[in-house]
Amino acid sequence: MLCVAALTCAGVRVLNAADTAGEAFFESKIRPLLVARCYKCHSGDKTKGKLALDTRTGWQNGGISGPAILPGNPKESLLIQVVRPTNIRGLLMPPKDQGDKLSDADVANLIQWIAMGAPDPREVAAPQKRSGMTLEEGRKHWAFQPIARPTPPVVKHRAWPRSPIDQFVLAQLETNGLPPAADSDRHPWLRRVTFDITGLPPTPEEIAAFVGDPTPQAHERVVDRLIASPAFGEKWARHWLDIVGYADEIGVANTVPAIHAWRYRDYVIRAFNTDKPFDQFIREQVAGDLLPASSIDQHRDAIIATGFLLLGEIHIVEADKLQQRADVVDHQIQKIGTAFLGQTLGCVRCHDHKFDPITVGDYYGLAGIFNSSESVYVTGRGVWSSILATDLPESPTHRAERELALRAHSKNVARLKQEHAQLEKELAEVNKQLAAPATKTGAAEPSAISTPPAADPKARKAELEKKLADLTNHLRHLDYIEPKSTPVYAIREAAAPADAHIHVRGNARAPGAAVPRGFIRVMDPAPWPKFSTTASGRIELANWLVRADHPLPARVTANRIWQKFFGEGLVRSLDYYGARGERPSHPELLDWLAGEFIRNGWSQKKLIRQITLSRAYQMSSTQNLAAAARDPDNRLLARMPPRRLDAEAIRDAVLAVSGDLLSGGNGPALALHFFENVGGLDPKNPNPVSYALKKFPEDQLRRRAIYLPVIRSGAQPGPAEVRNLFDFVAPTEMTSHRPSTTVATQALFLMNSEFIRTQAGKLADWALKQDAADDDVRLAKLYLRTLNRPATQTEQDSARQFLNATEKPSASQRRDAWAAYCHALLSSNEFLFRL
Amino acid sequence: MTPLSPSLTAAPFSRRRLLQATACGFGSLALNTLLTEQALAAANPRAPRAPHFTARAKRVIFLFMAGGPSQHDLFDFKPRLRAEHGKKPVIPIAEREITVGLEKSMTLGPMSPFAPRGRCGMVMSDLLPHLARVADDICLLRGMTVDNRAHDQATLQMHTGAFASLRPSMGAWASYGLGTENQNLPSFITINAPGDVRNHGSAFLPATHQGTSVNAKLAGPKDSPIKYLTDTSTTPDEQRRRLDLLQSMNRNLLQRVGGDAQMEGVIESFELAFRMQAEAPKLVNLANESQATLELYGVGKEPTDKNARACLLARRFAEAGVRFIQVTMDGWDHHGNLRGNLPNLCAQTDRPIVALLTDLKQRGLFDDTLVVWSGEFGRTPWSQDLTSTQPLEQHGREHQPESFCAWMAGGGVRGGLTFGETDDYGFRVVQDRVHLHDLHATILHLLGMDHEQLTFRHAGRDHRLTDVYGSVVRELLA
Repeated sequence: MLCVAALTCAGVRVLNAADTAGEAFFESKIRPLLVARCYKCHSGDKTKGKLALDTRTGWQNGGISGPAILPGNPKESLLIQVVRPTNIRGLLMPPKDQGDKLSDADVANLIQWIAMGAPDPREVAAPQKRSGMTLEEGRKHWAFQPIARPTPPVVKHRAWPRSPIDQFVLAQLETNGLPPAADSDRHPWLRRVTFDITGLPPTPEEIAAFVGDPTPQAHERVVDRLIASPAFGEKWARHWLDIVGYADEIGVANTVPAIHAWRYRDYVIRAFNTDKPFDQFIREQVAGDLLPASSIDQHRDAIIATGFLLLGEIHIVEADKLQQRADVVDHQIQKIGTAFLGQTLGCVRCHDHKFDPITVGDYYGLAGIFNSSESVYVTGRGVWSSILATDLPESPTHRAERELALRAHSKNVARLKQEHAQLEKELAEVNKQLAAPATKTGAAEPSAISTPPAADPKARKAELEKKLADLTNHLRHLDYIEPKSTPVYAIREAAAPADAHIHVRGNARAPGAAVPRGFIRVMDPAPWPKFSTTASGRIELANWLVRADHPLPARVTANRIWQKFFGEGLVRSLDYYGARGERPSHPELLDWLAGEFIRNGWSQKKLIRQITLSRAYQMSSTQNLAAAARDPDNRLLARMPPRRLDAEAIRDAVLAVSGDLLSGGNGPALALHFFENVGGLDPKNPNPVSYALKKFPEDQLRRRAIYLPVIRSGAQPGPAEVRNLFDFVAPTEMTSHRPSTTVATQALFLMNSEFIRTQAGKLADWALKQDAADDDVRLAKLYLRTLNRPATQTEQDSARQFLNATEKPSASQRRDAWAAYCHALLSSNEFLFRL
Repeated sequence: MTPLSPSLTAAPFSRRRLLQATACGFGSLALNTLLTEQALAAANPRAPRAPHFTARAKRVIFLFMAGGPSQHDLFDFKPRLRAEHGKKPVIPIAEREITVGLEKSMTLGPMSPFAPRGRCGMVMSDLLPHLARVADDICLLRGMTVDNRAHDQATLQMHTGAFASLRPSMGAWASYGLGTENQNLPSFITINAPGDVRNHGSAFLPATHQGTSVNAKLAGPKDSPIKYLTDTSTTPDEQRRRLDLLQSMNRNLLQRVGGDAQMEGVIESFELAFRMQAEAPKLVNLANESQATLELYGVGKEPTDKNARACLLARRFAEAGVRFIQVTMDGWDHHGNLRGNLPNLCAQTDRPIVALLTDLKQRGLFDDTLVVWSGEFGRTPWSQDLTSTQPLEQHGREHQPESFCAWMAGGGVRGGLTFGETDDYGFRVVQDRVHLHDLHATILHLLGMDHEQLTFRHAGRDHRLTDVYGSVVRELLA
């Protein structure tokens, strides 16, 4: 076998006997040709089209059109294509102004040389194309340093700090000569902490309890109540789903429903509400199917968790299955990079990272792990693939529950089948009638079908045929939703785990050298475990990610948690800790938080408790002029920045204050049990079954936003429309940073949408129903419910003026005035922001 | 309509006035200036900006033919297909190009006669009689190519340059690079938009650059061409009264927190929304167009009505100073019965599109408006029959990203030029290939922007519409 000039991570080449002959051929036939006809434009500093032909790496990396040579494959090598007169793009090399075209003999030599595997001794040494950092430089990058255990600094204003967090924050403020903002009042603090932890506003009762609590533990009591509430997971799971690219749709083509995706969503909510240690959460998502479990429920959860790797933008229409597989693996590597490591690993598919010390070898080491796992399968419908589903193990309780549902379902099916048979019989009768002499037209047999039969047999025939067709479709639909088992999207081990080959320039059809499975070298100089040929290595990867001395996952997670409370992360580029990312504003605080996180058993709730009970978090959001001039981005945290609520919180808060919000809502997101929501059931349809959300269950309209279906590519449907307007992250992205934009369509929505109008009306009805002596008392209650604070005298005066614009209003005019007032309140900044 | 209170509607500096009016509440003048400037920059990233160099076109109208029109029956005439009609094609096809039903497919000749048109002699089929009349104005690209053969991905690539990751749409890039002339309207409008909202999304660019979706054909009197544009249950007076109340609440809060750029942005956005409410319905109302114009486009007649309204709206938005206007015309995905379906699509689109070109000319807008016509890919020279039961005459064609046709017209474009050659099957490009990235680079160039300079820093690197690819196709420039 010829040794293909190998591009290994270290750039080391293995020599064997065939090389000697190959290199002789290169020296005698190829090098002189390249020097004479190509070097003028493609060597040294001159690399037209960014292509260098004076080193092996030059043509391996290729120029703007990709690698110039695919060793062993002259036909698809760009170099051969462009030296032939009939070629793509009118691109002829050498160009006309550089003399004659190559002779047939020269072209034949080039072809032979490439067919030999393009042996080329010209070492990488000359122009090093590595533009990023070397491994040694890389290790010095702050984010790859071990997490330090800093001592909280001594501050001048000793009375201010309540915790080490406050010492770190205050120390930086003092260094810069800025005072921290005054403490926030109880009302805005309660609104802030309630929205931040649960995504909902505090109720009037909760406000009263907190405001009237004179004990020093009042704040703690609130935080403990909030992190124990199920609403915590319902808000915080959504932050994680943003990173996952979660949707109730597979891929982006033809609206293919991801029927079981909700199980992953519910798993995340459950994991957060039970404060599953975050290292365990990471391990389950990477290798849950392989972890030992002590109960069936635990085992089920761990399998569901691996949906993390499958629920994202996976292309399921792709004729080229080799390419598809590589794309799926790429998606998974990118996800690991973004979610746990804060690295952009996608770039490394084609070339060493341009800025960061991450190599093609690192990438294909990870690729070997995911390539040794199965994520997708070919469905047998044309070019279509789908993501793998696994049946969950069942406990006797699970089985009993499902079988109960199955029995009800089967009864329904039996009934329809009977109806179907009856109709067929009737149709046969009618057909007989039609075939018989005309005299016999008379009343048909009364049937089991409730509608009166048409008198005319021809019409009756058409009617029956239509009914039969509908019934057939109904039966197909029932078959589709039959609770046969409990499937869930999950990854599994491949039959023959193996190391992956580098794809030269990311081209799946240009395999380079094989790379041993592994992780990211710059993050871990220690030797790695040996990977077996019987397992993918996902367990090893999972364990590597949560090693106590890993510099990244704890930092990345602690920083994300901080960002949810302070608007910006200590590292503002939440998902990117590379050379071009930002350095932390408070590096010691970041390490302290990450360290605490690990020391507290990777508990999110404990970290959240520490953050929200800090004095820093209690600061008022009022602008301090001197601080704003000095530090306009508020990087030093001289105040709490006010923040607009996210799309989910806006919708949920509107529903909550208008009295419509229902608790709970877990379970399937797509209402596929409605026949009209499912399309393409005909088995002859070349495309997979699709959904069209024409009908929503009544109660779903009033559930929290996290329980509403998420569409990957289209506009968010029905009750989830708020997502389309307020910076919901498109599930084709994996990001933990949502922008907070201001555009006119948001204002149009707040002014004119039916949603806001209807809920404002309901809020007005609530206000008018209050047992209140006068409108001032009514207004006080309304303010407490919506803005979560008492109304001021000025506000009451102006409200009365607005409400009493019409003299002696009728009941409906009075209601309209209150509805308009409530509409203004619900669209006001104070309602839409948390201070 | 009630006259609006002048202090609130005098765009674009109402915020500055507002801040001046409330300045005493904030403190030092210097800080006020700082906050105001920040707020203005944050609030109006759509202010008109100078291009990198002299622009040949001020705006773009992108006519997107969703589904992939068959170039073999419209623009790329291949005698060989006619000669071998019904025979087994002998095209070498790589494994990754294999598509559904290929083993049963046959060479499918063009369904309609072709002839040279105009002074330039551009070859076009009889299916587009109106376009044939303006052949000298258009520049035909016969060597277009993209990288994906699935609709959704290819469509996404057509709009954003990428099909595997979320990137801003070219309309969003145009708005980001140049801002827009009419602050009362969105800078990027997409008429009868494709279902996938990412095609007019702004991705990581500020959301203000995203496309606003406009429906050209309304379902009923309560239907609105722009979502949430009108509130039919409230009178304008009542709405203004409510808005004044809301804005006073918002200003009070702003004063309480001592200034906040985003809160100020919200206050301004309500005023912009209110102005849009007033301006947009006038713009989408075709009542004041002359009968001659309506007839020119084919408004109110079938089969042209929907596209005629869309094209006429496009012209009105162009006139009103919208930077990037897209019109989507769908239904081109002819996997079966091409001979029955394609003529219908041509009849639905030909007249409105050429009317648009004619109308732009009449109004002096043609020379600084770039019109681009393209599908997301083309179709194969061989036939396809997904049912496996139909005779050849009922077959359609499969998707083909390897080569397809697009055309450009207007500002800065060399009219009458036919650019690009495919092999004698019309399968692969053999000369003057224009990759989608090249088309994007050329569109930006005509707008006066260097596609390598128009960048946005996101996730640690500078992003471009053309990623790391694309070069301006200079041959197409007038």
